[in-house]
Amino acid sequence: MTEHLANFPYLTCMLLSPVVGLTILLFLKEERGLAIRMVALVAAGISFALSIYTFVAYDRVLGGIQFVEKYEWVKGFGITYFVGVEGMNAPLLLLTGIVIFTGVLTMWELQERVKEYFIFQLALVTGVFGVFMSYDMFFFFLFYEIAVVPMYILILIWGSTRKIYAAMKLTLYLMAGSGLIIPGILLLYSSSGLFTFDMVRLHAVQFSPWIQKLAFVMMYLGFGVLAGVWPFHTWSPVGHVAAPTAVSMLHAGVLMKLGSFAILRIAMYLCPQGFQYWAQLMALLAATGIVYGVFVGLAQTDLKYVIGYSSVSHMGIVGLGLATGTLDGLNGAVFQMFAHGVMTALFFSSVGFIYDRTHTREIHELGGFSKIMPVASAFFITAALCGAGVPGMASFWAELLVLIAAVKVFPIRGLFAIAALVIGALFALRVVQNTFFNEPNPNFIHHEDVSPFLGLPRMILIGFLIFFGLFPQVMVGLIKTSIVPFIQGM
Amino acid sequence: MDMLLFGPELYFLLVALVLFCLSLKRQPHPRAVNTIAATLAGLGVLVALVCLFQRGDLFFQAYRVDLFSQIFKFALALGLFLVFMISRNLAGIEERLHPEFYLFLTTCTLGMMMLVSSVELLTIYVSLELSSYSLYILVPLRRGDDIDVEAGIKYLFIGAVSSGFMLFGLSYIFGATHSTYLVDIIPRMPQLLASPIGLVGVLLALAGFLFKLSVFPFHFWAPDVYQGGANQVVTFIATASKAAAVALVLRIAALGASAGYSFAQTLVILSIVSMTLGNLVAIIQKDLKRMLAYSSIAHAGYILMGVLAFSEAGYASAVYYALAYLIMNFTVFMVLNEVATDGRDLKIAELAGLYHRSPLLTLSLILGIFALAGVPPSIGFTGKLLLFTSAMNQGYFFLVLIGAVNGTISLYYYLKVVYAAYFLSGEGLPPIRLSWPTRLLNYGLCVSIIGFGVFPNFIVELARTAVRAVL
Repeated sequence: MTEHLANFPYLTCMLLSPVVGLTILLFLKEERGLAIRMVALVAAGISFALSIYTFVAYDRVLGGIQFVEKYEWVKGFGITYFVGVEGMNAPLLLLTGIVIFTGVLTMWELQERVKEYFIFQLALVTGVFGVFMSYDMFFFFLFYEIAVVPMYILILIWGSTRKIYAAMKLTLYLMAGSGLIIPGILLLYSSSGLFTFDMVRLHAVQFSPWIQKLAFVMMYLGFGVLAGVWPFHTWSPVGHVAAPTAVSMLHAGVLMKLGSFAILRIAMYLCPQGFQYWAQLMALLAATGIVYGVFVGLAQTDLKYVIGYSSVSHMGIVGLGLATGTLDGLNGAVFQMFAHGVMTALFFSSVGFIYDRTHTREIHELGGFSKIMPVASAFFITAALCGAGVPGMASFWAELLVLIAAVKVFPIRGLFAIAALVIGALFALRVVQNTFFNEPNPNFIHHEDVSPFLGLPRMILIGFLIFFGLFPQVMVGLIKTSIVPFIQGM
Repeated sequence: MDMLLFGPELYFLLVALVLFCLSLKRQPHPRAVNTIAATLAGLGVLVALVCLFQRGDLFFQAYRVDLFSQIFKFALALGLFLVFMISRNLAGIEERLHPEFYLFLTTCTLGMMMLVSSVELLTIYVSLELSSYSLYILVPLRRGDDIDVEAGIKYLFIGAVSSGFMLFGLSYIFGATHSTYLVDIIPRMPQLLASPIGLVGVLLALAGFLFKLSVFPFHFWAPDVYQGGANQVVTFIATASKAAAVALVLRIAALGASAGYSFAQTLVILSIVSMTLGNLVAIIQKDLKRMLAYSSIAHAGYILMGVLAFSEAGYASAVYYALAYLIMNFTVFMVLNEVATDGRDLKIAELAGLYHRSPLLTLSLILGIFALAGVPPSIGFTGKLLLFTSAMNQGYFFLVLIGAVNGTISLYYYLKVVYAAYFLSGEGLPPIRLSWPTRLLNYGLCVSIIGFGVFPNFIVELARTAVRAVL
């Protein structure tokens, strides 16, 4: 793959902006609430702006890896600082930018230990940006862990509903995944004979089939934990419910994508034969996840659990797309990562707003909520429509691409997935009806609706969902520039 | 010029003399003694730094000064200085004995400095005993109940037994090679290792240092000594002493490098048992120092992964990890010392409310604990990954797998510390006031934990150059 050096370190700036932000925060006094929020917002805003820039400025005709920065880091161990952008990670960088920026705005009203909250959130998002842009396995894994561990503290302190249990469960699950990832990565590193962590160079190596099979399955399972692959998903609904709003947004919106992106970027990229061998299993687990997520989600009465399980099924769609290994499937999978990220962020953002006011997320207690807070409800309903795959929303195109590819490659599993999604859509509408269009609960009548300022982050999210729903070619065309060479290389 | 070769040792010998004179006073002034000792130790760090690139032989080639030994001398001087820095409030030891505390820590450091430079079996043994005897005295110095005496006796007995093992092993090596010089021994090792006597000799000779490093099966002393010794003494045992042990394990294990499979396999087993046992038992500990003792057993297992790779990369990563471990473990002990102002043993739950009491200490604690757990971006993460990498390069797939799984297990008990410090509320506990040197120390430690974790190249390259002399 061709590499085009950057004329300005855009990516490093994107990465360092949160770091600088959190360093400034360390030295601010807790009492200076507004200053703290502004620093966090500016830090997130710079990253957001740069992520938009790289998305727009990526030269689709030229292709390859652009904005490349490459420095030797630890010579003795073949570690390089190697970051870049191509078609498959540009949307995800954009997604991260969107979610962190809107996340900071969403948490504007936070009162408790504000400074630390933003410190940890910025630390987490640094990790996320780092994973998406790294082409060196050492840095990839380093950022991956940076993104995972602050979750423990974020959930523990600012979370709700069984947070101690959820925080520990989530962290241990994800770290157990890391326990599989490290040997997988190092196996490739040492058996390549190159002693380099540079993925592009490792890609040129023909690993022997058994190494590919072994390394692939370890990395698939290890990263799969974070991607919410059934049956390793059980940390995710619990964790999402317990986490504070913006952390749920980041977590379901972005962090789970780290897992699926890593499967695509490291496991499938470096072990194509291993992927061929395990593709059947991947498809089976993904399809099971879709069906399971839909049906378990139906039985929930807590809105956040409903979303949590819908994430499992939507991440199943990503997994199914990856498992097909075809152009449409991978295109759709990456698109779905983006679309689901924005959509889930919107979901959690609107539920968080409702919960902050009413202190309940029980569907039957809220009943008829749209009469009390029409705007807040509209946000949720938009997200629900998107989740149900209504045309005109970004998810529609993503799911369509994946399902077309899936039915071609895995007909039975694909049909099961489609059936489950149709039923899921029906029931999603029932959830919306029961929550928002029944008799209003008199206890909540005095609550104010969303103010324009607090509505802003939600509007941004909706804007992106609809934009890419109306102009999917902007996204698909970009993703394709990297998926086509990716498939040729497999 | 020769003076500079022997610079750090001479300097610390002088410091020991000064401290000895101070200990003759009937009523020493504890604050003054601390200031003097800390200043002298701080200068010692500079002396060790100046002598970092010295090279040469002394005492009829029994004593080699090279980058490898000088790096460890620097680490030891740094460790001693750091321990003196947190000894301002030495509540665990009677005031009358304070000068002795500084004196014996200095002689112990001196012994270890000589240890890392020794390349002759008898010199190694004598230096080792100099450092060990100092520690045998230091452990039971603690004021109060008899737990310290128990710890002291245990340390002495297990130490003596492992010394016995070691002498036995050394005698085998001497008997078979007719030399006590490592230079003469190494060329004869490949032939010798083919017979059991060579293998047994090297393994037994390692025992003395595996004891210091608290590797299974020489780990029994660690929990009791950690709990029974005064906090500052334990800090020294857990940091500087470990670094010296790593240096010597690397030196002696290199004798067995040519043995191939059987020797490496023994170390693989010791490594696996150490880390698994350490991590599993640490989970149920309530006392912070006991927990750290078991975690040190686990970390000894990780370090062995670098040793048994017998490659430049492996040795270099072991050196890197030893230095990293010194810094991160010290950070946790420093917090422990600051919280337990009266010198008591600290339960993990007693960290409650630390967040309110001192945000800076909490930050240091979290960074230290995360580094121990191997969470990036910290020296602990980088070090562990380098160790894993070098073990994998030699084909130890399952060892790396078990090591990685152990990393997950260990996270559980490390997170419990974070949980206590961050989440449990310590209603009514007063804020902890830190003096400015302590604040500086905190900043310094935090910066080095992250800084050297993100930019490890300098130390790795230094370590690689250093270990070439050993392998």
